[in-house]
Amino acid sequence: MRDWKAIAKASGIEIDSVEPLEVLEAAFRPLVKDLAPDVEPATELRLEEDGE
Amino acid sequence: MTIREAADALRARRVSAAELAAAANARISRLNSKLNAFITVTGEQAREEARQADAELAAGRDRGPLHGIPVAVKDLFLTRGVRTTCGSKVYEDFVPAIDAAVVERLRAAGAVMFGKLNMHELAYGVTSANPHFGPVRNPWNVEHSPGGSSGGSGAAVAAQMVYAAMGSDTGGSIRIPAAFCGVVGLKPTYGRVSRYGALPLAYSLDHMGPMARTVRDAAMVLNAIAGYDRRDPTSSRHPAVDYIPDDGCSIRRLRIGFPENFYFDHLDPGVESSVRGVFARAQSLGAVVKPVRVPDVAALNAVGRVIQLAEASAVAEPHLEHREKFGPDVLALLDQGRLLPATDYINAQRLRRKLSREFDQLWSEVDCLIAPTTPITAPRVAEKTVRLGGRDEDVRLATTRLVRGINVLGLPALSIPCGLASNGLPIGIQIIGPAWDEALILRIGAALEDGGVGIPPCPTAEVL
Repeated sequence: MRDWKAIAKASGIEIDSVEPLEVLEAAFRPLVKDLAPDVEPATELRLEEDGE
Repeated sequence: MTIREAADALRARRVSAAELAAAANARISRLNSKLNAFITVTGEQAREEARQADAELAAGRDRGPLHGIPVAVKDLFLTRGVRTTCGSKVYEDFVPAIDAAVVERLRAAGAVMFGKLNMHELAYGVTSANPHFGPVRNPWNVEHSPGGSSGGSGAAVAAQMVYAAMGSDTGGSIRIPAAFCGVVGLKPTYGRVSRYGALPLAYSLDHMGPMARTVRDAAMVLNAIAGYDRRDPTSSRHPAVDYIPDDGCSIRRLRIGFPENFYFDHLDPGVESSVRGVFARAQSLGAVVKPVRVPDVAALNAVGRVIQLAEASAVAEPHLEHREKFGPDVLALLDQGRLLPATDYINAQRLRRKLSREFDQLWSEVDCLIAPTTPITAPRVAEKTVRLGGRDEDVRLATTRLVRGINVLGLPALSIPCGLASNGLPIGIQIIGPAWDEALILRIGAALEDGGVGIPPCPTAEVL
C-alpha cells in the first residue's frame, strides 16, 4: 500500500484525508495486474465502430 | 401538465406561452427560497422570450414541441450574458459571451429559459450541498438531499418550476437526482449530445442530458439537443433519430436483463422490493425477463474514480492556488487527484477498453438491463453513512455505486421513478441500453410508464 500522506507531503500538498486514494488503491491495483500488454488506453472514447 | 399537454394547449390557444411563463415565474418565486434550486433566475428575460414565442406561433412559425415551454439549465452550461458559476467561487463573476451548444439548440427549439440551476460545487459530488450558493433541498422532504450533482435540476423539475431541465452526468449526476427527486433523467450515449460550452468536470466521462416529468418529455428534449457538433471533439456523427416513443408502444418479446450479480447487492429492502416489482410489471406487458451475469461493475467503478480524480484535477489545476475558493470536500478530491501517477490514469483507460469489450457481449443476450438507480432513497442532508445489508457504507459511495460504471462505458441510461418508499421518498430504476440506442430505452421507459410504473406528482411542493 502506498503511503499517500507521505506522497502528498513530498508534493507540497497539505491533506487531511487520503480515504478515496486508499480505497481505490485496494480496488484498483489488483485489476492492473491482469492487463495484457496489447490492451491500449481508451483515452478518447469513440463508440462509432461498435455502434454503427 | 406534461410538455406534450402544454404544447397541445398552446396550439389550441387554450393557454399562451406568456401564461406558462407567468405560472413558472410565480412558482419559482414561491418555492425557490425553500428549495434553492436556482442560482440565477432570468424571469424578466423569460417573459420576453415567451412573448416572442407567442408572436411566432400567431404568425405561423412553429418551432416544435418545446416552443414556448419553460425550461432551465444547470449552472455549468454557458449562457450568453448570464452569469455561469458552475456552483463555484472560481466562476462567481463569469459572464460568458456565448451559449453552450445545448442552450443554442434549446433556444432554436423555442424553449423559454428561466435561468441557471444550483448544483454540487464544480459538479464534483452528489449532495448539491453547495457551500457558496447554499444547499439544494429535496421537494419531497426538505430535510433530505436532492442528490447531485444536478440537484437543482432535479428539484426544479420535481417541484414543477419548469417542465424540463438540463443536467450533466459524470458519475451518475443526472440519474441520482432523478431518482432522489422522483423525475425522469436521461444520460445519453457519450458523443450523442454536444459538450461544447459546458464547463467540464472530467472530459472523458461527462455526458449532457435532460431531466423531465415523463419519459416522452425527456425524449422531446433529446430530440432538440442530440446531434453532431464539430466544436466538441468527441461529438459523434452517428445519426440522431426521432426519440419520442409512439403512443401505445410495446415491449412485447423484448429481452430485459435482470442482473444476477452486483446490482441487487446491499440494497435498502424497500428499494429492492419496488425494483423487483418493475420486472413483474414488464413481464405482464409481454417482455421476457432474462437473468444475466454482468461484467465486473466494481472494477468499472474503480476505473471511473481513477479517471475522474485525474481529469478533474487536471481541469482545476490552474485555480488550485486559490484554495480559499473551494469547499472542503471538493478541495480534498482535487488534491488527491494531483497525487495519482500518470501510470494509474493510463492503466485505468486500458481497463476501460477491456471492460467495455466484455460489457458489449451482454447485448447479444439481452436488449437492455434494468437495475436500481440507487441502493437507497434520498439520505438526510447531513447523513454520512448508511447501513445496508449488515454493513455501514459511506453515503456518497452508496449513492454512486450503481451508476458510475455506466459513465465509464459511455452507454445510454434512463432513470425513471418506480415507487415510493415507506418514508415517502421516491425510488428509481435505470434502464441501460447499447450505445446509440436511446430510442430503445426511451421506448421501454414509456411502455413501463404507460403500464403504471411511476409515482404521483410531488405533493410537498404544494404545501411548502
